[in-house]
Amino acid sequence: MSLEQSVLLTVFGAVVFLDQWPVFQSMLSRPLVVGAVVGVVLDKPADGALWGAVFEAVYLGLLPIGAARYPDAGLATLAGSAVALSAPASVAPPVGWAVAVALATGALGDHVGGFLRRWNGRTAVYVRERVAAGDLSAPGRAIAIALLRGAALGAGASAVALTVGLGGLALVVSTPWSGPLPMSVVVLAAAAALTVNGTRLFVDGRSRLSAWGVGLVLVVATFGLMG
Amino acid sequence: MQGVGFAWAIAPGLDRLYPDPRARSERLLAHLAPFNSNPYLATIGIGFALRLEQEVARGSAGADHRLSRLIKALRSSLGALGDDLFWAAWRPTLGVIGAAVALATGSPIAALVYWIAYNALAQSVRWRGVRAGFASGAGIARVLQDPFWSRASGIMKTAGAAASGAVVGGALWAASGGGLEGISVFLFITTFLWLAGLRRGSRGRWLSPSVAFLVVVILLSVVVQVSAEVLP
Repeated sequence: MSLEQSVLLTVFGAVVFLDQWPVFQSMLSRPLVVGAVVGVVLDKPADGALWGAVFEAVYLGLLPIGAARYPDAGLATLAGSAVALSAPASVAPPVGWAVAVALATGALGDHVGGFLRRWNGRTAVYVRERVAAGDLSAPGRAIAIALLRGAALGAGASAVALTVGLGGLALVVSTPWSGPLPMSVVVLAAAAALTVNGTRLFVDGRSRLSAWGVGLVLVVATFGLMG
Repeated sequence: MQGVGFAWAIAPGLDRLYPDPRARSERLLAHLAPFNSNPYLATIGIGFALRLEQEVARGSAGADHRLSRLIKALRSSLGALGDDLFWAAWRPTLGVIGAAVALATGSPIAALVYWIAYNALAQSVRWRGVRAGFASGAGIARVLQDPFWSRASGIMKTAGAAASGAVVGGALWAASGGGLEGISVFLFITTFLWLAGLRRGSRGRWLSPSVAFLVVVILLSVVVQVSAEVLP
């Protein structure tokens, strides 16, 4: 990975971190999109799209409802995909290491996000005091500063994850410790995860079971007709 | 800080309603109360609050207390509606479809289409929310109880269920290319992930989906490497 690519991914990490809940929520931070962007940056768009889909399948069932805590799927995908795509083409993809890096980054992102939320909470108290004193521009200023520090934290977490992930890759690549697997097997595993997580989310008891069955039969019949 | 965001978003409206800076400061302070809602439907709350602020600005008795009470009730309703529609329906349904297409084709276009489709609904709801909240006024309950919300969510979830079943069909078909072995591997992974995600009463799942996936890839890697060494 070149220095420019590393910088681009770090900046993108800041965008991903902010997009999840501080601002936008435009789903630029979804694994499917993050993986594709990482692939474009690293000049492997197809592989990036695959890895984005893998992590989308893994993290599909994480719903940001209520006060639920959850791993940072966006940063996890950024780090995991970058690690997977940085291995030389001559070796089997270091799947085990890439997924482990993703998990660790997801947990790091969750903690960094929690830290930012607590800091923002203290900022909200400060804004109330300023507005009570007649400073009507305090909310706008506080939001701008909060976004800047969110971007810095997101970029920092991305930089740490990429450094550790790629540094570790240099040690384990071409060894069994990288958990090498052919991509075809990874895709199969991701399809299984997509099946399980999607079914769990949408098929609630008997509700929608028939829709699930219709989907299954339609695809099998289509493939059967196509031969 | 959604409360700060709410106050910042409503500030231009308050600037028009209250020329006196002290009154503006007082009203801005009232809107700095905690506001936790779904991000796309929060704009309905902003429009509605502006509508009621007109009554406060006119000096209607008790209007400020009524506004505060209604906003508190509204935020949880908007949160529930938005979470059900976007987090539990639209986002995962598109996620299943987008991921399935990307896994099948390896094309980054799937991600682009996903992103455009998601935002076509989400950002338009956000954009139109201010006007809708402002126009509804006292009729806000009708807006929230409109069957559109549950119908839309139900349709999306049904589509998500169909897509999940389709993924099974597609994966089994692809796995059958590897014969009985391929199908067995797929079924093993699916069964493991399903069992790992079962709840143990109130103690959560046996394994989180991401940890279960890591266990699966490690197991598969070990099997593949041992097979490569053992098999001729």
